[in-house]
Amino acid sequence: MNVLLLLLSLVVLPVAAQTAELAKQTSIKFALNWKAEPEFGGFYAAKLAGSFEKRGLNVEITEGGAGTPVVQMVANSKVPFGIAAADEVVLSQARGTDVVALFAVYQTNPQGIMVHPQRGFKSLGDVFGAPGTLAIQSGAPYTLFLQAKFPGAKVKLVPYAGGIAQFLTDANHSQQCFVTAEPLLAKKKNQPAQSFLIADAGFNPYGTVLIARRRYLEQNPKQARDLVDAIRDGWSDYLRAPEAANAWMVKLNPAMDSETMKESAEVQKPFILAANTPSKELGKMSTVRWTSLVNQLSDLKLIKKKPAVEKLFHNF
Amino acid sequence: MNSDLHPGREHAGAAIRCAALSRSFGGTGLVLDRLSFQVEPGEFVALLGPSGSGKSSLLRLTAGLDNPDSGQLVVEAASGAVLRGFVFQEATLMPWRTVLRNTTLPLELAGWARVDAESRAAEELRRMRLTEFAARYPHELSGGMKMRASVARALTTQPNLLLLDEPFAALDEPTRHGLQMQLREIWLALGMTVLFVTHSVTEAVFLADRIIVLSHRPARLILDHMVVLPERRDAELRTALEYIDQVRRIAAAMPVSGEAS
Amino acid sequence: MTLNARLASWLPPLLPLIVSLGAAEIAVRLAWVPSYLVPAPSEVLQSLLDDRSELALAAWATLSSALAGLALSFLAGTFFAIVLSSSDLARRAFYPYAVFFQTVPIISIAPLLVIWFGFGQPTVIASATIVSVFPIIASTLLGLKSTEPALLDLFKLYTASSGQTLWMLKIPFALPQIFSGLRIASGLAVVGAIVGEFIGGGGLGSVVDGARTQQRIDRVFAAVLISSLLGVVLVGAVNFISALSLGSWHSSERNSS
Repeated sequence: MNVLLLLLSLVVLPVAAQTAELAKQTSIKFALNWKAEPEFGGFYAAKLAGSFEKRGLNVEITEGGAGTPVVQMVANSKVPFGIAAADEVVLSQARGTDVVALFAVYQTNPQGIMVHPQRGFKSLGDVFGAPGTLAIQSGAPYTLFLQAKFPGAKVKLVPYAGGIAQFLTDANHSQQCFVTAEPLLAKKKNQPAQSFLIADAGFNPYGTVLIARRRYLEQNPKQARDLVDAIRDGWSDYLRAPEAANAWMVKLNPAMDSETMKESAEVQKPFILAANTPSKELGKMSTVRWTSLVNQLSDLKLIKKKPAVEKLFHNF
Repeated sequence: MNSDLHPGREHAGAAIRCAALSRSFGGTGLVLDRLSFQVEPGEFVALLGPSGSGKSSLLRLTAGLDNPDSGQLVVEAASGAVLRGFVFQEATLMPWRTVLRNTTLPLELAGWARVDAESRAAEELRRMRLTEFAARYPHELSGGMKMRASVARALTTQPNLLLLDEPFAALDEPTRHGLQMQLREIWLALGMTVLFVTHSVTEAVFLADRIIVLSHRPARLILDHMVVLPERRDAELRTALEYIDQVRRIAAAMPVSGEAS
Repeated sequence: MTLNARLASWLPPLLPLIVSLGAAEIAVRLAWVPSYLVPAPSEVLQSLLDDRSELALAAWATLSSALAGLALSFLAGTFFAIVLSSSDLARRAFYPYAVFFQTVPIISIAPLLVIWFGFGQPTVIASATIVSVFPIIASTLLGLKSTEPALLDLFKLYTASSGQTLWMLKIPFALPQIFSGLRIASGLAVVGAIVGEFIGGGGLGSVVDGARTQQRIDRVFAAVLISSLLGVVLVGAVNFISALSLGSWHSSERNSS
């Protein structure tokens, strides 16, 4: 019996070691849901500073674009980690797909509506009460939230195709935006924009959250923890000194130049971390916020049954 | 001359004068080599020759569908305008039109009012014994009936020059023989000049008063022969000695296939 | 027709449908296939029923845009084909650009369309037209160029004007080809309309867009199903008109049972 155990271990141990080595060397794919922008600056900063490698993780960050189905990709095990919106996590859980949020970049959601200042709007209510067009993602929770908040809207809601082309050429056009990005691009093109935060109107889910399948977390708990720690370090670095990561992202995303990236990185700071909050709290999420989101989505009839809030997120 | 023989025929025929007519085509080279001949008003001439000898090209030149490279080709009619009728190898009817509306086509193109065109066309259909098929579509007709409709169409403008390009070659023998007899009857009644292209010696002898035999490409005139046979030609003539004699004579003058002369 | 004969004609196309729908339903219910990939047919049906008035309105909007786009394609395409058929030089000069309409990726020029035509139906119709015009040009041109030479000779013999030859000969002769092009174009017009709606708003395109955002794959499938039906309706309409025009004389109509 002892001989058998010895023989077994002689076979199993090397194989296990090999597998561990292999696992360390295969890349861990990390799927973004948009192009490289300061919104993801901390992730790139972590990679640059070697925070992943330091913990034995070979992380590969892949950009996304309009319509990249990150949640499906994660749920399908095509990628282990990805970036999504908080409401997508709730929707998935409500449908029985077990994805979990691990880290939230934005404590205050930067989703907003940008308008031409010359229209003289003082609030989102003004925007919805005036004629013209508003490009906003059809079916998105913030869209439904605003439609519910401002019924009988005069403005015509039209599809949002990305970019600011229509905004630049059409004086009666408003559009959704991340207040940390698109308005800066518009200013650069000599069309300064005024923006309103949807969070101020009462819809404030966490923004840009890291997700993974629960099964994957259960199978790779240390990897997940290490990843989140590395990310936390990365964001800490980025908040302090975004230059290096910005230089890299500019190469990846020609749509944004380095000046705008610098400005965006600056503008987004208060959304990520309130002043005087210690950096070890970066990215952590609360039950209260998630509960509020679940209730709002249920009121908007986006989900039929409310998922258990504890299943939605996990703070490492 | 023939009009002397047949006084009172309905349309005087056109005359054709052709001098040193030459035509060549890009892919095939010289097709007609300095052809010269004349056709008098009202003659029934068969253009006989082996396949590919350029007789169809000559017909198309006479029809005005093509122009010669050199030489002269003059078609004129004593009455003034030359009116041509053409019967193609295939019946060439427009499948989306009824038999009647196919027959009225030449008149429509000439600007006739519909009512007049239809009554004129109906007369020709009657002559070709197609009246009961006037409202049918070409796909409902047999090969022989389609050819008769094509002839009717060619006759609606009362042409003084009727051109036919091996029109009966694709038909079965009884139909072919019937149509040959009918064509000759029509010519006897109407008196237009007829130019009939064929590669069949028996057909040429049966139909025509005059046979012009062409050689292989490049076509030259081998024989210009007046047919010696009765004016009225019926089925029995096909087995008569005098007919067979004429056929033999013409056949002897035909170029052997494959041989350039 | 006897009962057996009726079954014999209806069963073959229905059988694969029944089998695959049944398999899909079972696969999703037993969670072999996750429902965010493929919805159970019963869910799609439920979605169709629940949202039937919204889907009907959206379908009507898409259909009217597709019809308008198809009509424009037909007019412009036929005109263009007639011009190209009457001049060799014109054809060699301009036909390559007609091919451009076939190959341009409509989803990438759609934002341009919005800038030119504005949000809403004008952009949707423009998109439907651009996507469906080339088959009409190509088929009509082919039909006009294939006129039987003997018939062309016939018209030439009677000194017909080019207008008479075009109207009385070339166009009727080309009708089977023209209908063939229309058939292809009608399905494409629906596709073009929906793509236009992704950017311009309205119709089934916006239903799909919104459903995708909400991960309501059952709604996406329901909208896609209806848009296929729209394509079937349009093609059926073309077939009907084709049968009326060609039925009396063209073999393609006479031989169909």
